[in-house]
Amino acid sequence: MKAGFQTVFLKEMKDVLRDRKTLLLMIVLPIVVVPLLLNLLIGFVIKKEQEAKTEVLEYVVFGDEFAPELAKTFEAANGFKKVTLGSPDELVAAIREDRIDFGLVIPEKTAAQLSGQEQASIELHFDNASMGSKVEDRVQNLVEKFNDGLTAARLAKLGVSPGQKQKSLLEPLRLRKQGTGKIREVIGDRIGGMVPYFFIAFCFMGVVYPAIHLGAGEKERGTLETLLLAPIPRHQIVLGKFLAVFSGGIIAVLLNLASLGTWLAIKAGDLRGIIGTIIGSIDLLDLVLLALMLIPVAAMFAALLLSVSIFARNSAEASTLISPFGIVLIIPAALALLPGVELNWFWAWVPVTNISLAMKELLKGTMDYTMLLAIFASSTLIAGGLLFFCAKWFNRESVLFRM
Amino acid sequence: MLQVSSLTKVFRLACSKRARGERDPRERGRRFHAIDGIEFGVRRGQVLGLLGQNGAGKTTLLRILSTSLKPTSGVVLCDGEDLTKNPLEIRKRIGFVSGNTGLYGRLTAREMLRYYGKLHGIAAAALDERIGSLARKLDMGWFLDQRNETLSSGMRQKVSIARALIHDPEILLFDELTTGLDVAAAESVLTVVAACKREGRTVLFSTHHMDEVDQLCDSVVIIHEGKLCFEGGVDAMRSQTGESFLDKAFLRLIRPKTEGATI
Repeated sequence: MKAGFQTVFLKEMKDVLRDRKTLLLMIVLPIVVVPLLLNLLIGFVIKKEQEAKTEVLEYVVFGDEFAPELAKTFEAANGFKKVTLGSPDELVAAIREDRIDFGLVIPEKTAAQLSGQEQASIELHFDNASMGSKVEDRVQNLVEKFNDGLTAARLAKLGVSPGQKQKSLLEPLRLRKQGTGKIREVIGDRIGGMVPYFFIAFCFMGVVYPAIHLGAGEKERGTLETLLLAPIPRHQIVLGKFLAVFSGGIIAVLLNLASLGTWLAIKAGDLRGIIGTIIGSIDLLDLVLLALMLIPVAAMFAALLLSVSIFARNSAEASTLISPFGIVLIIPAALALLPGVELNWFWAWVPVTNISLAMKELLKGTMDYTMLLAIFASSTLIAGGLLFFCAKWFNRESVLFRM
Repeated sequence: MLQVSSLTKVFRLACSKRARGERDPRERGRRFHAIDGIEFGVRRGQVLGLLGQNGAGKTTLLRILSTSLKPTSGVVLCDGEDLTKNPLEIRKRIGFVSGNTGLYGRLTAREMLRYYGKLHGIAAAALDERIGSLARKLDMGWFLDQRNETLSSGMRQKVSIARALIHDPEILLFDELTTGLDVAAAESVLTVVAACKREGRTVLFSTHHMDEVDQLCDSVVIIHEGKLCFEGGVDAMRSQTGESFLDKAFLRLIRPKTEGATI
């Protein structure tokens, strides 16, 4: 014969898995929607990046007669199209209205400065508010190309022969950067904080609906009272419900992990090899540890949200009470995104943040595995404490029969 | 069988629930005396009608008797055993159905009965036999494998009763069992209560319908504003008030405490 909590757990799982809303959040979202959204998002970003690099930039030049060689450089370059505009005063309006991409203003004195071997300057007018704009880079490249030619000519005039001699004059000391970080560490540090953030958010979403359904939902439907009359201790009822809610979080996380893993494996080639490099360097043990890390997180969320849900009078009140937790619980996960926050013996004891940081270290490949003990100990203690509180909470008449 | 002595239940009121205008006499500061010093007894095989206006304290009393609430003071003895001492054992002897008892909508009636049977520790084979027997008795065999969310009110109440009877309890607590049911469904449910009486079960039956009291109850307890105001037989209700209709007798018994009450 099964223990009371097993009977409760099996029934709750059957009940939860027959709910369309739960299935949608727990199964359909990670398997279908997440890869689909990622596909669209990455595709959009790549397309925009490509467009910014190859897009024909329309420009105007005022004073091209003062630097005809520079003007010719722009005219000869691919991806640039010269247009005309009445006066320099119209530049700002023309850029804002998207009639041109940029404008160059070459002052009259430029001709004399260039021929007199002096330093000259020209103005570039462009929309610097547009994040994805490549105007500045593309113009800078052309100006540098023009400068290289001019510098070589000036040095030759001074008797410095082209080649090594000019290079040694222009850059007497060259700094050669030799980073010790592997590509996995560098990329892991940049994006490693984002991954746990998403997993923790998905874990939360997987827990929310089962918690509401099995807590406040039971009160609302009037089934809680009859369940309380079953001849099993209340902590067994709590344990059965907790396991069902916890399973919801774990299923959501595992499906997300599998779904994202599959998607990344398929798309690694398209992402110019960087993600492929990271995936290639993550071994199976790391993936297993990544999944294991989320177990205490799901347990913490399950115990906490079940306690909140059982306190609520109905599902609507439970949703209202649970909503702020969505933000409160995600904040510690987001701490891992901050620069300078690294996994150490202090952060290893801070719930949720420790998991987030450990996942980041795993992705970077710099995990100090001894810290896992502290992380698991801290998370398991907190999850156990919350479960204990939930069981005590479930015994209070003022919670179960709120007036 | 059941002996209730000096039973009192006090709830702590949330600020928002405290009376703004006319105060309920049971509200004392932040405390609400839902039932106060109730005393009565029920013999084995008896059907006791529990009467009272809405909010009189009937549901609180039944919740204490079912062990889901603990009394603030007083004692309930079940065959001499204190209800609060070993509630898990007492629960095996009690079945409880309320008018607003819910069902698990996504489970079928059979799945739900199996669930409660397992919680009561009934072995699988015996459980299937018991479900079959209850289905025949309550004429619910034809909808046993339908999801509860698809059932009518009458069918749902039958499933609730079957759930309360699954572990063959000696004591049945029915709280406004026929509320919201049509005449035919109510009649069918009352037939089950009568059958429980014939089987020798002890039934505590809370209702607002005096015809049901007349038809089923051996004795009556009336609670008004948390206090016991009558205990005795149905005939005693009539003789004590001089009213032949139980509705009028009931009102007469609570009238001294309810000014201006009319039928």
